[in-house]
Amino acid sequence: MTEEKKKQDQTQKPLEANPQAAITDAEKADIRTPLSEAIRKFKKQKNSVIALCFILFLVLVAVVGYYLVPFGINQYDYNAILQGPSGKHLFGTDEFGRDLFSRIVCGTRISLAVGLSAVTVGAICGTILGLLSGYYGGIIDSIIMRICDTLFAFPGIILAIAIVAVLGSGLYNVVIAVAVFSTPTFARLVRSRTLALKEAVFVQAAKSMGASDMRILFKHILPGAIPEIIVQYTMSVGTSILTASSLSFLGMGAQPPTPEWGLLLSNGRNYLLESAHITLFPGLAIFFTVLSFNIFGDGLRDALDPKLTD
Amino acid sequence: MLKYTCKRILGMIPTLLIVVTFVFFFVRMIPGDPARLVAGEQATLEDVENVRVSLGLDKPIPVQYAKYVTGLMKGDLGMSLRTKRPVTKEISTRYVNTMKLTFISLFWSAVVGVALGVWSGIHRGKWQDYLGMAMAVSGISMPSFWVGFLLIMAFSVKLGWLPTTGASSWKAFILPAITLGVHIAAVVARFTRSSIIETMQEDYVRTARAKGLTERVVIWKHAFRNSLLSVVTVVGLQFGFLLGGAVVVEAVFAFPGLGSLLIESVNYRDYPAIQSLILIFSLQFVVINLLVDMLYAYLNPEIKLQ
Repeated sequence: MTEEKKKQDQTQKPLEANPQAAITDAEKADIRTPLSEAIRKFKKQKNSVIALCFILFLVLVAVVGYYLVPFGINQYDYNAILQGPSGKHLFGTDEFGRDLFSRIVCGTRISLAVGLSAVTVGAICGTILGLLSGYYGGIIDSIIMRICDTLFAFPGIILAIAIVAVLGSGLYNVVIAVAVFSTPTFARLVRSRTLALKEAVFVQAAKSMGASDMRILFKHILPGAIPEIIVQYTMSVGTSILTASSLSFLGMGAQPPTPEWGLLLSNGRNYLLESAHITLFPGLAIFFTVLSFNIFGDGLRDALDPKLTD
Repeated sequence: MLKYTCKRILGMIPTLLIVVTFVFFFVRMIPGDPARLVAGEQATLEDVENVRVSLGLDKPIPVQYAKYVTGLMKGDLGMSLRTKRPVTKEISTRYVNTMKLTFISLFWSAVVGVALGVWSGIHRGKWQDYLGMAMAVSGISMPSFWVGFLLIMAFSVKLGWLPTTGASSWKAFILPAITLGVHIAAVVARFTRSSIIETMQEDYVRTARAKGLTERVVIWKHAFRNSLLSVVTVVGLQFGFLLGGAVVVEAVFAFPGLGSLLIESVNYRDYPAIQSLILIFSLQFVVINLLVDMLYAYLNPEIKLQ
């Protein structure tokens, strides 16, 4: 059955007393909402579906991995120092004989938590700033956009280093630093959507019905910006995991003996010659995590971008 | 064009002022007493006070700020607390190293990125496209310090071809430049691909094909030239990323540049140096963005005509 025919069928259905009851399951499947449309398009992209599955797997590892690992994260074993990968130690051991596999599995929790929380904070702050800036305009807009310009005048990681320099090193401060530098991106994005949606008929209608500014902003304008925010969010998670691990690598984030991936990698630099596995495996962990977020983000963008509708 | 240039340069001034002010106050918020740090652990209270006076840290913040801004105008960035030498002296040689490194990286990554992007774009949906884009998305997802270590393991430890540290010879630049450029090359490739795909659907490309031009001429003379405009912008904007990325890459290779100096200064709480370095990084970035805008305006006849 072609798409057109389906539509005709739906329109030709006689009106019944209870229209809700008249919709059968089969017909439900035909109704296209923006969400179902996006899911349909997303499913077409096999890579992104695989990436999503991998992300879900990582979340699972982050939640339960801690209880399932064969060795404790700080379980020293001086009889097994700097061993290569083996049946007992899947990823080998470090200079204290700690099992690298257990440490990397437990590090999943840290990297995901840091990446997700930083971007979430950044996205919420940026969205609110962008909404206010775009909706009210005038002086509020000027001030917010000046602040964004200033933040944009620093290359991302330099800003993060400056913030960590002020706040001191540590994972919480890394979260703050990454959140600050991801905020302006969201602010600009949401502002431009707000400017466009502000003039839309449904917003004007809501206004004329006497809806409050807050109601218009959060009930009418924000939903229109959600697809863009989601895409930007996913893309930013990868970047912020990379930045956070870079900061830990530079000694400004997680402190030993935390099994943070960037820190594990930085630790391996002293053993490049004899024990390459100490740098190899944490790097692979970061790589695959960031890769899956990037591929997932690409798929989401293609599924949600209204410009690409077929 | 001249009018546009002047307008843009004037428009930059408020941003720069805000940045300078922001950096000044920001660095003042770093916890710890710099005077005590300079005087040393064993110093008496009196010594610490003497150091404070000699550094001008006893003055009220507005006075310090005024002194700082007038110093900046004269090109004076203050004294490094760590080496007790003028910051400008500390920075100058390292500045050259970092600039060399970033430009080499920018050059190779732009060439490779554009080539990969065009190659993927003209083979849209075929295996070449998938291969190219798989490489690009991998390039974006790899932590640069990891790439650096892998290169060191392969070319320095295993093969012994290239040095792992320093900036003494041209050979020392190769590995850091490759490491720094990977991410940019990947970003440029992705962008070039979508830009090429867009222009390949334009009417003038169809016309060019219809009049019997070879595919090579169609691609390079018609499609590529027209997508070059947006590619130039993206390449230019990546410069800021390179400056930031240089910090990490310099740490991997113990490369004597601005980035490694920044890390050392942060670890030592060397205020004048941190403040100057952050300022230099952002100045660089703002100026480059301006140049990219100018180049864009120059290349884009639509803006030139206005």
